[in-house]
Amino acid sequence: MYKRSNWLWAISAAVYAFLYVPLLIVIVYSFNDSKLNAEWVGFTFDWYRKLFHHDEMIQAAGNSLGIALVTSAVATTLGTMAGFAMHKYPSRILQLLVLTPIAIPEILMGVSLLLFFVMINMTLGLVSITFAHIAFCIGFVAIVVRSRLAGMDESLTEAARDCGASPWQAFRLVTLPLIMPGVIAGALMAFTLSIDDFVITFFTAGANASTLPLQIYSMIKIAVTPEVNAVSTLLMGLTLVLIVVASKLSPNALRS
Amino acid sequence: MARWLVSGPPLLYLTIFFVLPCLIMVLASFRSPGDYGGLAPLHDENGNLDLSFDNYTRFVSDFIYAKVFLKSLTYALTTTVVCLVMAYPVAMLIAHSSKKYRDLLLLLVILPFWSNFLIRVYAWMIILGPQSALSRAVNAVLALFGMQPVEMLFSGFAVIVGLVYVHLPFMVLPLYANLEKHDPALLDAAQDLGANAWRRFWRVTFPLSLPGVFAGAALVFIPALGIFAVSDILGGTGGIMIGNVIKQQLLETRDWPFGSVLSIILTAVALLVAGGAAWVARPKREGVEHV
Amino acid sequence: MKKLLALVPFLFASMAAQAADEFHLYNWNNYIAPETVTRFEAFCKCKVVQTYYGDNEEMLAKLAAGASGYDMIVPTGNALEPLIRQGFLKPLDKTQLPNLKNVNPVYLNTDFDKGNQYSVPYAYTITMLGYNDQKMKELGIPVDSWAAIFDPAILAKIKGKVTVLDSANELMAAALKYLGYSVNDTDEKHWQQAKDVIMKAKPYWAAFNGTSYIKELTVGNIWMSHGYSNDFFQAEQDAQAAGRKFHIRQGLPKEGAVLALDNMVIPKSAPRPDLALKFMNFMLEGKNSAELTNLIGSGNPNLEAMKSIKPEIAKNQAIFPDKATLSKLEMLKDLDSKKRRVRNKIWTEIRAS
Repeated sequence: MYKRSNWLWAISAAVYAFLYVPLLIVIVYSFNDSKLNAEWVGFTFDWYRKLFHHDEMIQAAGNSLGIALVTSAVATTLGTMAGFAMHKYPSRILQLLVLTPIAIPEILMGVSLLLFFVMINMTLGLVSITFAHIAFCIGFVAIVVRSRLAGMDESLTEAARDCGASPWQAFRLVTLPLIMPGVIAGALMAFTLSIDDFVITFFTAGANASTLPLQIYSMIKIAVTPEVNAVSTLLMGLTLVLIVVASKLSPNALRS
Repeated sequence: MARWLVSGPPLLYLTIFFVLPCLIMVLASFRSPGDYGGLAPLHDENGNLDLSFDNYTRFVSDFIYAKVFLKSLTYALTTTVVCLVMAYPVAMLIAHSSKKYRDLLLLLVILPFWSNFLIRVYAWMIILGPQSALSRAVNAVLALFGMQPVEMLFSGFAVIVGLVYVHLPFMVLPLYANLEKHDPALLDAAQDLGANAWRRFWRVTFPLSLPGVFAGAALVFIPALGIFAVSDILGGTGGIMIGNVIKQQLLETRDWPFGSVLSIILTAVALLVAGGAAWVARPKREGVEHV
Repeated sequence: MKKLLALVPFLFASMAAQAADEFHLYNWNNYIAPETVTRFEAFCKCKVVQTYYGDNEEMLAKLAAGASGYDMIVPTGNALEPLIRQGFLKPLDKTQLPNLKNVNPVYLNTDFDKGNQYSVPYAYTITMLGYNDQKMKELGIPVDSWAAIFDPAILAKIKGKVTVLDSANELMAAALKYLGYSVNDTDEKHWQQAKDVIMKAKPYWAAFNGTSYIKELTVGNIWMSHGYSNDFFQAEQDAQAAGRKFHIRQGLPKEGAVLALDNMVIPKSAPRPDLALKFMNFMLEGKNSAELTNLIGSGNPNLEAMKSIKPEIAKNQAIFPDKATLSKLEMLKDLDSKKRRVRNKIWTEIRAS
């Protein structure tokens, strides 16, 4: 480990500040005693109180969280497989198939998925949303995993094979731990994409299903009340708690 | 055999939930819009197949759409470059941090993005609005130099800020995943050979990180090309992006065929640029691994 | 893994909860008072499940792509036309709607649904000007004409403080009215003239904005907006609640404006059309209809409702215009696909420069 230069710290700190100022505004204003979300008036817990009675919002937030977890799990699995395949058995088709869902405009994908679901007579609801989310998340995970594999030392896996390990054992015991940071990074990305998706969800949600982005979007016109700030703050907090718990259960996930 | 076991499931999933829906829309791009919405029937009154390249030629003949495309390309490119410059130091910092801090720092990058997209963009409306502390500070400084006050919100600048903000973690994560694996021994060796910090970075770290750079650039450039919400909220009258135009085709104009054409062109351009960048980054030197 | 398992029962629970008697309402955001919903739930002994859209076009796109499961939708007149033409709607059984007699005949039998076969009026809004009265007085800006947002001489005084709606239909309609044409004029030469008017005024505008102009007006960043009457009502309420020293007033331009009549309709694919008819009749009752108006200041086509509407709203000329003004208001008609393409090209040219 060599000494990190001070300017690296300084620039990074500035970037983190850039990331957090808007967030702090969101959190701070969730306690703001004014409907407007424009300037500070006074401290209150009112918005949190209102939130707990707002069944629709809570349901939507729960749906979002559930969908994001399932999406992340499945997309990470499929995406890791795809990333590995792209690296080991490069093929134009796989590459195209994995990259295009990222390149295609969300609104087109949303409409075409809706048409497709209707054609195969699938009922629209939480499940259809989840299928849609997984579809566009796979690519993100695959790209990250592949780039991680590209920087990896192949000799370790070869050595394992030489010592008599089967391909699956070599993957599970050597490759997978080595690419774990990439897999986790991909999983985080998939989770983030899913929990915040609006466009595709809008088209593939049914009459019963609502997610948080849909719920919030439906409130924009009436000036986004601080209730939305409150639910965002809570959702962030909840996700943070989940991650901390998960990392305690598997402490070496992010390292190689 | 192993090959199909590994690539099979994702291929299958994507074929069902991506390729098939897309084929519907690709077919739609050759059809005509329904008079009141949706698509016109596949067979017209005479029973002939109503398919044509009309929608494609329209893209060429109505030049305005290509103009909007170019503008979106510039915005997406700017966003990618700015994201790269901002994300690299952070990714380096995280990759070289001690185990204790690494997880925390990484989490801190991603945490803001578990709040809601709209809320975060609206927060920028507050930060850049004319009555905010930032605006007043900036305009006070400008006034010192005798210059006119600037409107930071509802401008191209605000759109770029928003785009960068929304895409930043997608640059940090792939870069981090790549940098984390770099062998410090290489840098030590370079140092022993007399290279200073900048040379070590530029000749050793950066080239090794190129796969991460390109992964991050792809994950930022491509979505940034098609996004519409940020410019809707933060943009001024100065210009829409191709994402907004596509949205209009699918919603207000109810012209799905043309919307489909624009989307296909957008997707093709995005893939071309991504493919081109990866090709340019192909290894020219021995011993440096690339995508 | 454990996280996932914990959430599975959650998903199942939410799905099971949908077995009860449910009425699915697909409506605009904030377009029904919560008290009304609760009262209807008690009346019909059912649960009201609401989904929202922010724009007619979003709703039309979803329906055209085949989405279903909604018992009732509330489209505006020009969105009603495509729904009827595409055969999505169920004809109404008028015997179940005795309260239909409460509606003001002016709003019945419109061009887009002669004889009200498929729709019943719900509420209306007028697209007009909304402004910061203090600033407009200070600067001497006339607030009763579209010139306030189209005349460069006037705009020079409020440069960067004006927003207009991000809608091709609405903005073109306003420009056409300013030029003295009908909002449904389809002469392309007139459209080009409207485009020129818009392009001349554009450099003075801050943004094309259809959602956050309420807040910007209330906060004081924007002084003049092109928007909807009930949004300006909301803005004024917010401004007074926040203790602002100015008022947000509504200005109905003398050249005329767009009246948007929203209607209740039942899709053919509705799972519970019986509940939908019950809801329709319920909303046609005077006091139920009045609740929305009292909440958001929307126009009310129901004569019975006038008795229950707050007097200051009932007297507001911008919400309940007199006969003379009403004659200058027009409802937007839908365009056919060729005209829509031309309009989109013009709109893209306006927005892209």
